[in-house]
Amino acid sequence: MQMKKIPFLILIIAFSCFFSGCEKDDICDPDTPTTPRLVIQFYDINNPTVEKSVTNLKVIGEGMTDGIIFEPLASGESKYLSNAKSISIPLKTNDIKTTYSFILNSGSSNPLFVNTDKITFNYTTIDEYVSRACGFKTVFEMSPSNPFVHTDGTVADSKWMKFIQLQKTSITTENEIHLSIFF
Amino acid sequence: MKYTFQYFFSTTLLFLCAVAFAQETKSPPLKADNIAPAKPVQEIEKLPEKKETDTLKPKINRYGLRVGVDLYRLTRGLYDKDYKGIEFVGDYRLSKNYYLAAEIGNENKTTDDTRLNSTAKGSYLKAGFDYNAYENWLDMENIISIGLRAGFSTFSQQLNSYKIYNPNPYWGEVPSIISGKEFNGLTASWIEVVAGVKAKMFNNVFVGFSIRLNRLITNKEPNGFENLYIPGFNRTYDGDFGVGFNYSISYFIPLYKKKILPEEVQKTNKK
Repeated sequence: MQMKKIPFLILIIAFSCFFSGCEKDDICDPDTPTTPRLVIQFYDINNPTVEKSVTNLKVIGEGMTDGIIFEPLASGESKYLSNAKSISIPLKTNDIKTTYSFILNSGSSNPLFVNTDKITFNYTTIDEYVSRACGFKTVFEMSPSNPFVHTDGTVADSKWMKFIQLQKTSITTENEIHLSIFF
Repeated sequence: MKYTFQYFFSTTLLFLCAVAFAQETKSPPLKADNIAPAKPVQEIEKLPEKKETDTLKPKINRYGLRVGVDLYRLTRGLYDKDYKGIEFVGDYRLSKNYYLAAEIGNENKTTDDTRLNSTAKGSYLKAGFDYNAYENWLDMENIISIGLRAGFSTFSQQLNSYKIYNPNPYWGEVPSIISGKEFNGLTASWIEVVAGVKAKMFNNVFVGFSIRLNRLITNKEPNGFENLYIPGFNRTYDGDFGVGFNYSISYFIPLYKKKILPEEVQKTNKK
């Protein structure tokens, strides 16, 4: 008799699980590849095969006051500054172009060292299904005719980026370099 | 409000379970009482035969068709605005312990996840058998069964709205995007293992519940989306497995009866 009751206890537990709504506990795994950022690699213009680090590069989106946070652990202004050979920047998922100001030597005491270049990226977006927990992601297809427009900043100093080359027309993953900048 | 209703119906369900349990626990004492006099029968057998027929009445098994409706699906529409559905259940007794069983239904379910909102609607049919593992005493007709079903569903899905997952929301969180895209002509088939209980309440009225473990066999996924809910199968998970249940009230239509003679009589005949 006692044995017969066990399956019923299991049934009841299963039922209470249904009614208490344990359906909603899906959480998107952060390792799932979702909306990719644009990956930029920097190279030395004098030696184009050699990667080169930028110095105190701050990247601000058009219309934004804060820069992209490159060093989340740093405090104050320095969390917006990159000194890496490669950076990743997010594109707008609800627009077909995104403009960024790339400020080299940002915060330098000598204003002559500070140099701003602007790049506008032109693309189309495609929304792709990922999973129940993550929803959709946006992938980008760079405009074939005019993928980016490079201009000088408001101060008419010469552009610090000497040459820009698009490596990938489809931005679908962050595991590859999409854009090379030589300076 | 929704939860109040949910609790109301789940407590009702629990009471039903209690009824089923009560039926089960009451029966063994009956059994014991009756088995006890059954032993001396061996000795009595040598006495005139009419005595024997007095002590052991032939058991009567009724055969027929049981039809009903799933109360869970029927009532869920009252408290869940995202759900409309109905399921008819039926079984036909084939032999002492085997029943042909089937469910047919229609569901319209909107799944509102944090990042997705989609509606699945369609019809399904499940057919298979139940094996009654419960030994009824006298003329009781309760059922504790284990069974199998093959399920088939034909449905459509509509993606109502979705959110873009962006781990780097520098440009701010983009609100839900309205889609309305429809995916038609979807089908799925699966196997269900069913564990169920049916208790006779009065006359020919039975109430019961069953829990089902499902495994998808085929699933025609929409292009660029996923079947998040399959009518009849219930919610889908990452693997092929799913769970479901129903809570039914049914009416038994008796068609014919079979008398089961007591085993002791058969034994004496052999001698």
